[in-house]
Amino acid sequence: MSALLRAEQLTKAFGSTQAVAGISFDIAPGRCTALLGPNGAGKTTTIRMLAGLLQPTGGKLSYAGVKPGQSPNSLLGYLPQAPSFYGWMTGREYAVYAARLCGLSAAEARSQADALLERVGLSAAANRAISGYSGGMKQRLGLAQALVHRPKLLILDEPVSALDPLGRHEVLMLLRELKQETTVLFSTHVLHDAEQLCDDVLIIRNGEMALQGSIEEIKNNHRMSVITLHIEGDDHSKQWCVSYQGGAYVKELRRIEKGIELVVTDMELARRELLGQLAEDGIRVAKLEFGHSTLEDLFMKVVSG
Amino acid sequence: MSQWMIIWRKELLELARSYKLLWLPLVFLLLGVSQPIVTYFLPDILANAGNFPQGTVIEMPKPQSGEVLAQTLQQYGMIGSLIVALGFMGAVSSERNSGAASMILVKPISRSAYLLAKWTAMLVLVWGSLTIGYLGAWYYTSLLIGEVDAIRAIQALLVFALWLSVIGTLMIAGSVWLRSGAAAAFSALGLAILLSLTASFLPSALAWSPGQLPGLASGFLLGSIPDAAGMIIIAGAVLTAAILYAAVWRMRRMELP
Amino acid sequence: MNESTMELSKLLPIIAPLFVIQLILVIVALVALAKASQTRGPKWLWVLVIVFVNIIGPVLFFVVGRRND
Repeated sequence: MSALLRAEQLTKAFGSTQAVAGISFDIAPGRCTALLGPNGAGKTTTIRMLAGLLQPTGGKLSYAGVKPGQSPNSLLGYLPQAPSFYGWMTGREYAVYAARLCGLSAAEARSQADALLERVGLSAAANRAISGYSGGMKQRLGLAQALVHRPKLLILDEPVSALDPLGRHEVLMLLRELKQETTVLFSTHVLHDAEQLCDDVLIIRNGEMALQGSIEEIKNNHRMSVITLHIEGDDHSKQWCVSYQGGAYVKELRRIEKGIELVVTDMELARRELLGQLAEDGIRVAKLEFGHSTLEDLFMKVVSG
Repeated sequence: MSQWMIIWRKELLELARSYKLLWLPLVFLLLGVSQPIVTYFLPDILANAGNFPQGTVIEMPKPQSGEVLAQTLQQYGMIGSLIVALGFMGAVSSERNSGAASMILVKPISRSAYLLAKWTAMLVLVWGSLTIGYLGAWYYTSLLIGEVDAIRAIQALLVFALWLSVIGTLMIAGSVWLRSGAAAAFSALGLAILLSLTASFLPSALAWSPGQLPGLASGFLLGSIPDAAGMIIIAGAVLTAAILYAAVWRMRRMELP
Repeated sequence: MNESTMELSKLLPIIAPLFVIQLILVIVALVALAKASQTRGPKWLWVLVIVFVNIIGPVLFFVVGRRND
């Protein structure tokens, strides 16, 4: 098996509601994967199953090098959405405790904990009680404790969604470094974060896999040529927009507040014809853009469609 | 060092930081020391408090030293078990509800090690508190009331420690099975009361019930040891093991937030 | 000498340890209260409860008043 983790028809039902309805995917070693979807899509449930906190009601999870029935925990580093520590411990005590639980010797645990606290920028606060930590500090401590045993797969649930812009930036920068060293899977509902960091995406909706693949591949396969036209607010131009019917090259026509948006099949043809038409009819163009659909457009379409 | 040991040390550290390691023994000691002192001064207290005419001599049978220790154990049976329940009602459920347990149990450790560490930490604190308090009571009893048969006193302590272990184990199991700490304390104490009530109402039918344990402990001190003493002790140990097994069984299957 | 007369000299060595233990319990509770970042209910109220309610006061604080982080 080349995949580090393979999920086959993974299912979780709570009573009669299916939170995750048979999703299958592979996590390849060394890749950074985003589990993307709107709130309530089943991201957290999926992640909790991967981390072994929930028992799947159906399907199979297999980890490379782990026999069925054996715990994969030594491969995994896990950070939940809102990490909860022992508030009475200091950051260092917690990191050392986590390392000891992962089987490190006392000396190893101390040096590993200190190195990681340094790395996540908590050295100065290491000897303070965790109960006094801010949300961003807890998230960073959470990363440190997830990394103490150099896990093969780091699983993070919405690692940045609860943070303010600064904390978000810090954690994203850390993740950017970490994905060089280990395989990362994180869930998010923010496409931008996935696009910035990840190689692969798994988009889920209502507990089902809506789209999966590498970001490049998805961009290429689903890329559409889009023309955006904004006009000045004069009556003649407005009238033109309302009556515009498009041509043979137009696949989709949307009227937007400032003008129109076209999804076209042949960009070259569209460019020539539309420019000619605009000049001929004397339309007061404010902005004309010949571009491509973004991942955002695709995401919105997949998620709402 | 084994995982169990690492978690156990964390549990003890938590007991220390939450002051339980201090206040539980202190309360047991206070209860234990008060009993012989109050018994000793009871005639004086009554004489001073009541409006008796001058020179009234209050005749009270002087209690035997064994009786005083038995009364101390009775105190521990009521107030002591309430304190044990309050001290451990959230042992697992609070960590589970807060999410702290999820972060620990995704580490490569076994869930039974996690639970057994909590259980042994509880036992250490309960046995330690009981012993300290009981030794205080013993010391004052021999000082003020009279000598106590050491063998009998130790046998009574061990039997009573087993009874508190039953209650403590019920408490830990309650905090595994139930999400609410109050519900766990309520159920554990309810079951303990049920055990001892049924045992005292049906002494012959339930001669081997672990609910006879407190009575057996007093029996050692009062010199009336029931025939079934050995069986009661075995039943108590078996019940503790069974409750613990049920807790581990549930723990292994528990879904975590 | 009447046996049932409370004599200070006889009483003190017996009762003193009892008070010392109580005092330690109260002090431990007050230290815990001072260190606690938040409590259930106002702190001044807990000071009164710990100091004036015999034995039960400190226990009540540890069980109810102290928030366990």
